[in-house]
Amino acid sequence: MAISHDAHTVKQFDLQLANLRNLVLEMGGLVEDQIKRAIKALDEEDMTAAREVIARDRLINGMQVKIDEDCISLIALRQPVSSDLRTVMALFNTVSELERIGDGTKKVARMTIQIYDGVSSPPSARLLRDVTPMAELAAEMLHNGLDALVRLDVEKALHIIRSDDDLDQEFQSALRRLITYMMEDSRTIGHAINVIFIIKALERIGDHCKNIAEHIVYLVEGKNIQQRRNLDMSLATFAQEKQQEQQP
Amino acid sequence: MSTTTIEIKTALDTMLKPNPHVGKQSSVEVTDYNNRQTVGKITVDHPKMICRGVNVYYGEKHALKNVGIDIGANEVIAFIGPSGCGKSTFLRCLNRMNDTIPVCRVVGQIKLDNDDIYDKSIDVVQLRARVGMVFQKPNPFPKSIYENVAYGPRIHGMVNTKPELDDLVRASLERAGLIKEVEKRLEEPGTSLSGGQQQRLCIARAIAVDPEVILMDEPCSALDPIATAKIEELIDELREKYTIVIVTHSMQQAARVSQRTAYFHLGDLIEVGETDQIFTNPKHKLTEDYITGRFG
Amino acid sequence: MNKPSDSAAPDFRNRDIKTIVNAGLKRRHAAERRFRWYGLIAISLGLAFVALMFGNIISKGYPAFWQTYVQLPIRFDPTVIDPEGHHDPKAIESADYAALVRAGLRDLFPAVQGRTELRALYDLVSSDAAYELRSRVIANPALIGTSQEVWLLASATVDTLVKGNIDRTLDETERPIKDNQVGWIDKLQASGKIEKQFNTILFTGGDSREPEQAGIRGALMGSFYTLLITFLLSFPMGVATAVYLEEFAPKNRWTDLIEVNINNLAAVPSIVFGLLGLAVFINFFGLPRSAPLVGGLVLSLMTLPVIIIAGRAALTSVPPSIREAALGMGASKLQMVGHHVLPLAMPGMLTGAIIGMARALGESAPLLMIGMVAFIVDVPKGLMDPATVLPVQIYLWADLPERAFVERTSAAIMVLLAFMVLMNGLAIILRKRFERRW
Repeated sequence: MAISHDAHTVKQFDLQLANLRNLVLEMGGLVEDQIKRAIKALDEEDMTAAREVIARDRLINGMQVKIDEDCISLIALRQPVSSDLRTVMALFNTVSELERIGDGTKKVARMTIQIYDGVSSPPSARLLRDVTPMAELAAEMLHNGLDALVRLDVEKALHIIRSDDDLDQEFQSALRRLITYMMEDSRTIGHAINVIFIIKALERIGDHCKNIAEHIVYLVEGKNIQQRRNLDMSLATFAQEKQQEQQP
Repeated sequence: MSTTTIEIKTALDTMLKPNPHVGKQSSVEVTDYNNRQTVGKITVDHPKMICRGVNVYYGEKHALKNVGIDIGANEVIAFIGPSGCGKSTFLRCLNRMNDTIPVCRVVGQIKLDNDDIYDKSIDVVQLRARVGMVFQKPNPFPKSIYENVAYGPRIHGMVNTKPELDDLVRASLERAGLIKEVEKRLEEPGTSLSGGQQQRLCIARAIAVDPEVILMDEPCSALDPIATAKIEELIDELREKYTIVIVTHSMQQAARVSQRTAYFHLGDLIEVGETDQIFTNPKHKLTEDYITGRFG
Repeated sequence: MNKPSDSAAPDFRNRDIKTIVNAGLKRRHAAERRFRWYGLIAISLGLAFVALMFGNIISKGYPAFWQTYVQLPIRFDPTVIDPEGHHDPKAIESADYAALVRAGLRDLFPAVQGRTELRALYDLVSSDAAYELRSRVIANPALIGTSQEVWLLASATVDTLVKGNIDRTLDETERPIKDNQVGWIDKLQASGKIEKQFNTILFTGGDSREPEQAGIRGALMGSFYTLLITFLLSFPMGVATAVYLEEFAPKNRWTDLIEVNINNLAAVPSIVFGLLGLAVFINFFGLPRSAPLVGGLVLSLMTLPVIIIAGRAALTSVPPSIREAALGMGASKLQMVGHHVLPLAMPGMLTGAIIGMARALGESAPLLMIGMVAFIVDVPKGLMDPATVLPVQIYLWADLPERAFVERTSAAIMVLLAFMVLMNGLAIILRKRFERRW
């Protein structure tokens, strides 16, 4: 079932939905920017920028509250059904995912401050080697997620879901590498733990992006592909169910 | 593009195409009008009524086109759709109320259990005793509350003695959730009740003859929300014993009371499905447009 | 604001809506006031004419309810009443009571002599006086041999004079009463022997050539029998027809044709029905002329379309929801009509029927054609007795020259109007009382 793009008879409803969507995208843009700023702050060892990132998280939280309120009033006043309901619910859920991604960036920024607090010596570059590619991947996933949300692009959403696997693998190998460093040189443990927190945060950001992608699939298809252990399996069942539907 | 994506893509494509299998489920030959087929599963496991290839003509006008649907035992099925879509017409086919309209012609097969209700051997009086009806406007007879409920059992000769009739009237009013309100005023005219009470009186009147199916034609359209809620609660209770078919203009009502929903559009039965599915994820664009308020 | 649509109505853009509306307001109110005046004038004109008509009829007819009586000293002379003394009822019945009256008059005015003079004297009392005495004697034979002061019916001319309807200043030859008679009457009046009493004869008597003896009872009974037949025939038939046409008949060209014809029938001049009745009931079926039966049949024909139309209107006014409710319960069509539709339509049907009957009551033209215009003295006792009806009686009396008949005509009209008002009132009461509100 594709989403109908015809206008509602009640024009105000369309306006409210569009407004809601724009707010979510605005919030998404803000969060995307946060990731970039946080990574940049880490790269450039810029404490001020990191603090700024932490401060800007309030903005994101404020937006979440505003959008939640809008969603609730839309549900209460318009009683959306079908694709409208799915849209509102998907946006509602996306917003909470975005808020958590925001929390993740905050965590990255906080770790940056901890690493470069000036008390201990700065970490060696190899410890931070995996952070930037992971951050780039996470940022790209979020960017694609927002893009998929704008276009209601299921394919792109499925692509995001799969790239989360890549990010997970990156995380696993980075973790192994960091463990190796820690075993080699116990002095690196303090920094390594901080870096682990950072990459864990990035990995979580990827998970949240995956969730956003799942919300998009739900929005468009009306099918819930969340909460399935293995992505490939869940996608296969998804396809299977569709086929069954046609041959009852 | 990975293989999984292609798989989903194909699945999507096949889903959005008109489904060639739906029509073949029925034993009656189904003609395809404007390549439009009913989407969704029209059959149920325990059908109370089976309708196949039902066409209704008002003179030259083709009011209902090749409708095929099962009505399951003890379910509430809601018919929704814009005005003039044929939902009321179809409802009235189910107890042959259309017989009263001279220009109206019904073609096709409608079975109640195993009896074809349009068969010559079925008397319409008997049919209407088995398939009761509640109308849009509460229409109690201008007689006492008691007489309203007693009317059906009386004309069908269901009871022989006055005490039996008294019991039946009380039981029917009780089942309709009206007994507390009218216990002391059974001899007052039915028209003295409030709108919601009148409608429940009509329901009591309908269930007094113990029908198998109750048809409701927009039963709450003339009522306030509280009276509506009471009727909806009543419908839910009655489901244990009866099969209920309800036509409604309120989609929220259909969503609240029914287990299955059928969407009609310009005389076509567009989509049938579990109410839950129809209201979260309808398969047909017309259904989607109608329930989300994008119609017309 | 350069859009072409804006330049189309530039005036209204710049002016306040209040001023625009106010400009035309005076004119609108004036038109309204004018219209109200037209209505008032029309209604007052109508009321004035009604008042005029009633005033005229009542002022003319009112005296008819009073009748002049003369008190005579009557000696129930056994030699006249019962010369053989056997108290034979037959003999008593056939005795010459007029002689007693004459004797009484002579006793009052012993001075009157001569044939012409005496005849003029005798003319003061109605010929009914003799019958009055006879019935008294038959009722009470003990009267024989006694002397009584008896109030006897005065003749119409005396009545007219007493009521002041004869101009005494006219020359003797130009008025119906002679100078000597006037003198006697004055004498009687002076001695209190002339009195006006309530005119019971008007309601108990049949038609008569003598105004003082003429009553409307015969016409009333004739009207009653005629209307009885009309009601018994037209109401069940009308209701049945209306129910069939409205509820059962298929809607096709034939029923359309029947409908049009019924509507046309209601507009046919009533005299045509009279001609039909004459041709069919009297000439073809050989029913007696002047009989209420035939009158009833003819009026039934006339009333039937009215009842059918009213009945159908009453049936259509029953909301379809009631029909649906009954059918939905599994009632058969006849049960639906019998249990629900007809009871609800009945007040309307009865109203229609009563209005139709009121019209039948006032009808005279068709009855003229079937001979109900004959001079019939006897009060009809059955459907086949010759009879006349109230409006025809009025028509007959209106033709007679005597002054006393003029007032009786008006009195009969008053009675007729009273019945009409009564019937219409009944219709209104029925409608108010039994009309259901849905």
